[in-house]
Amino acid sequence: MAEEPESVLQLPPSTAVGGEGLTEVSPEAVTSEPPSSAAVSPGTEEPAGDTKKKIDILLKAVGDTPIMKTKKWAVERTRTIQGLIDFIKKFLKLVTSEQLFIYVNQSFAPSPDQEVGTLYECFGSDGKLVLHYCKSQAWG
Amino acid sequence: MEEDEFFGEKTFQHYCAEFIKHSQQIGDGWEWKISKDCSDGYMCKTHFQIKSGTVVSHPGTSAYVQTCLPTEEALELPLDDFEVPETAVASEVIKYEYHVLYSCSYQVPVLYFRASFLDGRPLTLKDVWEGVHECYKTRLLQGPWDTITQQEHPVLGQPFFVLHPCKTNEFMTPVLKNSRKINRNVNYITSWLSIVGPVVGLNLPLSYANATSQDERNVD
Repeated sequence: MAEEPESVLQLPPSTAVGGEGLTEVSPEAVTSEPPSSAAVSPGTEEPAGDTKKKIDILLKAVGDTPIMKTKKWAVERTRTIQGLIDFIKKFLKLVTSEQLFIYVNQSFAPSPDQEVGTLYECFGSDGKLVLHYCKSQAWG
Repeated sequence: MEEDEFFGEKTFQHYCAEFIKHSQQIGDGWEWKISKDCSDGYMCKTHFQIKSGTVVSHPGTSAYVQTCLPTEEALELPLDDFEVPETAVASEVIKYEYHVLYSCSYQVPVLYFRASFLDGRPLTLKDVWEGVHECYKTRLLQGPWDTITQQEHPVLGQPFFVLHPCKTNEFMTPVLKNSRKINRNVNYITSWLSIVGPVVGLNLPLSYANATSQDERNVD
């Protein structure tokens, strides 16, 4: 299928072992999210629902890295770069000897523990975070 | 222009200068050191990190760890190691030194680093490999000797660990090519360090990512 810019697929939860693959967004699966005004709840402790709020990530391949069929993903804010790397590697079926790097601003690799929510705050625009990914046999 | 992927010492120094400029703005601690006998230099930074070891299951020892309690109660705690099993290691502070040097033979920057406990005991190569971030561990442990080795620091002459530069060009080229396509100037050092740093516990604050786009001059 050609790319579907309108579809936003849910990233499988990080606890999923063995790769569940794509999850189609069906009406019941969509979590009811508050309007995406990105407003911060005033003053209160974060209820569990807020931390689950997802952000849109657009993944772009660099170099001769395989292009993902689905580029747009809704990802929990607390997902780390490492979690995203693991997911993309499984999705692209990379072998362990291949390293995958993710970049913001096309040039800077955030550390693996960085949360995508933070990256979205710093580098997101037009309601999404654009991340470039590149595979490499970086070492050895 | 493939020449951009390989750069000379002057370009290296320029990117380091820009990098350090931002480091100073945010208090990130990087400095430039000039070697006394040559006109070249390198960047360096010292960083302290708490390494969590095995949790000590002995009652009462949790307060023994790394605290500098000014109260007298601290003296009543078991001070010596005899009551602590040998295998149980409390959290320790490790001093990391990171040096960024230019490699003439590879024409790329190289990351040298060393780590020691506060009492001066150096970390072993094995300790270092085990401290590598989870993200890179699998690949690294497949062939550790290819990646992190111990070498003599070219300027200081002391043993340092080195992240081998032979593949640097391979992972830098796509990034640089991509940036050139959109006419954006990239600070090679910033990009490179953001990639290799996390492998050995060095994380760059995100503000570096925005700092590079402020430098619009071409380096030629």
